[in-house]
Amino acid sequence: MERIIVCLKPVPDPKQWDEVSMDPETQTLIREGIASVINPLDKHAIEAALSIQGVLGGEVVLLSMAPPSAASTLREGLAMGADRAVLLSDRMFAGSDTLATAHVLAAGCRWLGDNDLIICGNMSIDGSTAQVGSQLAELLDLPNIMHVIDLDLGEDGSMVVTRKIEHGFARLRGALPLVISVRKELNKPRYTSFTGILAAESKEIKVLSNEDLKISPEVIGIDGSPTKMAGIELRRFERAREKLDGSVDEIVESLAGRIYQYGII
Amino acid sequence: MDFTFSEREEMLRKAVREFAENEIPPKMEAMEETGDFPEELLKPMAEVGIAGVITPAEYGGVDLGYVARTIVLEELGRVCGAIPMAMQVHHMGCAVINDFGTDAQKEKYLTPLAKGETMGCVAVTDPSGGSDLLGMKTTAELKGDKYILNGRKCFITNSHTSDYWVVIAKTGEGPKGISAFIVDKDAPGAKAARKENKFGLRGANTGELAFDNCEVPKENLLGKEGGGLGVAIKTISETGRTGMAAVALGILTAVYEEAGKFATERVLYGKPISTLQAIQFYMAEIYSQLEICRLLCYRATWLKDHGMRCDNEGTLAKYYTCEAAVNAAKTGIEIHGSYGIMKEYAIQRLFRDAMVTVPAGGTGEIAKVVLARTALAPFKK
Amino acid sequence: MSGDMNGIWVFAEQRGGELHEVSLELLGKARELADEAGKKVTAILLGHDIRSLSQLLLNHGADSVLVGDDPRLKTYRLIPYARVMASLVHTYDPEILLMGATYMGVELAPRVAAKVRTGLSAHCIDLRLGEKGQLLQVVPGWGGGVIATIACPDHRPQMATVMPGIMKALSAIEREDTVKEIEIDLPEKGLGPEVLEVKREKPDQLPLEKAEVVVAGGWGIGSQEDWKMIESLAELFGGSVGATRPPVDEGWAEEGQMIGQSGKTVRPKLYIGIGISGVMHHVVGMDQSEHIITINSDPDAEIFDTSDVIVVEDFRKVVPKLIDEIRARLKK
Repeated sequence: MERIIVCLKPVPDPKQWDEVSMDPETQTLIREGIASVINPLDKHAIEAALSIQGVLGGEVVLLSMAPPSAASTLREGLAMGADRAVLLSDRMFAGSDTLATAHVLAAGCRWLGDNDLIICGNMSIDGSTAQVGSQLAELLDLPNIMHVIDLDLGEDGSMVVTRKIEHGFARLRGALPLVISVRKELNKPRYTSFTGILAAESKEIKVLSNEDLKISPEVIGIDGSPTKMAGIELRRFERAREKLDGSVDEIVESLAGRIYQYGII
Repeated sequence: MDFTFSEREEMLRKAVREFAENEIPPKMEAMEETGDFPEELLKPMAEVGIAGVITPAEYGGVDLGYVARTIVLEELGRVCGAIPMAMQVHHMGCAVINDFGTDAQKEKYLTPLAKGETMGCVAVTDPSGGSDLLGMKTTAELKGDKYILNGRKCFITNSHTSDYWVVIAKTGEGPKGISAFIVDKDAPGAKAARKENKFGLRGANTGELAFDNCEVPKENLLGKEGGGLGVAIKTISETGRTGMAAVALGILTAVYEEAGKFATERVLYGKPISTLQAIQFYMAEIYSQLEICRLLCYRATWLKDHGMRCDNEGTLAKYYTCEAAVNAAKTGIEIHGSYGIMKEYAIQRLFRDAMVTVPAGGTGEIAKVVLARTALAPFKK
Repeated sequence: MSGDMNGIWVFAEQRGGELHEVSLELLGKARELADEAGKKVTAILLGHDIRSLSQLLLNHGADSVLVGDDPRLKTYRLIPYARVMASLVHTYDPEILLMGATYMGVELAPRVAAKVRTGLSAHCIDLRLGEKGQLLQVVPGWGGGVIATIACPDHRPQMATVMPGIMKALSAIEREDTVKEIEIDLPEKGLGPEVLEVKREKPDQLPLEKAEVVVAGGWGIGSQEDWKMIESLAELFGGSVGATRPPVDEGWAEEGQMIGQSGKTVRPKLYIGIGISGVMHHVVGMDQSEHIITINSDPDAEIFDTSDVIVVEDFRKVVPKLIDEIRARLKK
């Protein structure tokens, strides 16, 4: 194994989401004072990378598109045990949608060279689109598998991956290089050790701008993003308290409908 | 003056918090029930670096110093005071060997202690008294190449979970007649005797040690013969008291969080009780205590890390923080009303745990004796 | 011909010859949007030996179906599916392409969107038409705390994945329209990971904190006998049983099943609370659940303040029928 890339997204700490407010003028979210943490599923991605590294060697590189302040979040990933980090940071990247983000990350992967495995968290906890993994793979022309809940490395260098499907799973065999997006069932991320924190202090966080990456401005940033924000509103947490009326049969019918709607059955 | 934590210290806090919040709660019920320390946590704690936080790197530790240790103990204590209680005494067992041990002793004992392969403690208190060191009755007599120990030690944290005890015993009379020994729990004539049944910090094991013609090899003398008083005082005042202070600080933090949570969630007269001024004043008291104690605890250990004396400051931090934790927990119970005395609510455990920190490492009265000495020193004629 | 097929597309998801219900729901929404915009609805059906499904798609709102029937498409594989979808998009140039936000759709849609370099919005909860035929896509973010409206003004197709269960399928009407077979052109190699095994199973019983569904009972359940109803309902979902304090005291439930300030905190996808009054000590342990359904015969039960769906009825009348109904639906 030469190199495993873990795509990492710094996200606002979910414990502080109550404190988010919105600027009514600019229609943007105010997240001042809210700490950034590693997107929870990305920790599972780091764990997967580190355990594969433990068997097959190679280096584990964290890759992130974020403002320069994200360095401290990357430092936490390095403290978990990743070898180095690359932070893709440029004003031109600001406002990128998932496809534009994938363009930037793909350029970061290419900048790094040949990569055997790229691991993403299945989705970010804030945007929750779950789109970047597949889009990144497509732009790199690599196969990808999402919803990964188990991983086995074959003796021939192939990888047997178990992915979740509705009420079950599918097992697939893929050859490297490969992009996978992992779910939390895959593993239990290791705790950050003090030794890891000390070691991370001298690990490299390379910051690259678009001068290094030279991505066409037409596919990045707010202007290069095919999707545009047409409006945003804050939904304060309030339960619907919708009372179901009618006969018992009607209530049951409607209850079952809701339960289906929630994706349970 | 700089009152901020470094990025390293912030990361440390985050790392311990994540570990503590995930790993300790599943053990709490059993701890309360059995009064046993969950020994299976020792190894994972050592992997994170908790066991060897003050041990030098050459002996398998991370050597991060005492401010870092305070962060560690505070964060553990925020989840459950018993765990840092056991750890802080374990740290005393490490510090005492590091400060007074020979290279051979450090080599033999410190590395496994830092890696969580073994657990340690310091045993000073005799049934005849703890703070009255000269009045202790446990004796050690050199016979050939062995010391023969006789007597009992009581209220010893980690008594039954430790692999070695650092035991203070009399080798003569007067202040120069006290020595320290590393005693293997399997030494002939040594026994972890009675297990105590405390009402708080239940997951930290406390008990008696009994020595009946216990044979300790001569090379297990820690420091010089007759130097035991210094060994005991330095370890208790610098490592022990700052450690107890940090445990109490963790409990105090938990009190603040539990009280705040209850006050904002509990609705009476159609509004959270936190909108009532009586409750707001309670919260202000708890908050003030917490802030004051933080300053005391971190100042004492900052002094230690900067090579300055901290015995007075450590004693002050210990005395004040333990008292504050008790008072805040009592206030926390008042905020909870009748729920506060029910076992399902954490606040009553915090009260019990806080109470147990008070006599540990010297009661408030003993602390006042020390502090009075300092307070009156400038006026000495 | 292709002129009729450049309107609104719906990816008809099937596994093992069974159509995912979200496909019919999407057709319902597509029909509504198409009627408003004066466009046609086309369903895309990929698989092997699945032609018979096209009638179902037509009956539920499709004007035409493009069928790609090929042994290589029998089992879903991302790369072949993405290639076929992209080449269809290139050929027909549709305005809109909708897919279910299922395990398959979540993986496939972004790959297709990246291939054809267009925009995609995820897990939409609503779709509307804006000016100039723009598709306005309403998506939740930040755990549902933020609602954003997304548009894709300059790229086509406008793509969106939609959560199952949100849109309504139309009642079937017997219709005869166009079914067109498409040629499947796939290379020998480079089709990505091969599928070794596909297994459907009942999910394992999970610990309370991890269960996707928690069915909790309170004092109102009244007896050990009736408590079994709670357990049966939970079992049906592969979920876990939770309790308030009284059922634990009564011995109907175990201590470890208690939810609340002094028990566990649960955050399942669905919480169903039955016979629970809703005192604060319990509520703080469940109020972060994604969906909350509560059943209580007391119309003033406090728990209703923390509920999405409320049933004021004796649970003994509702729950047994609900169990039957769910069972019937699961069999389907």
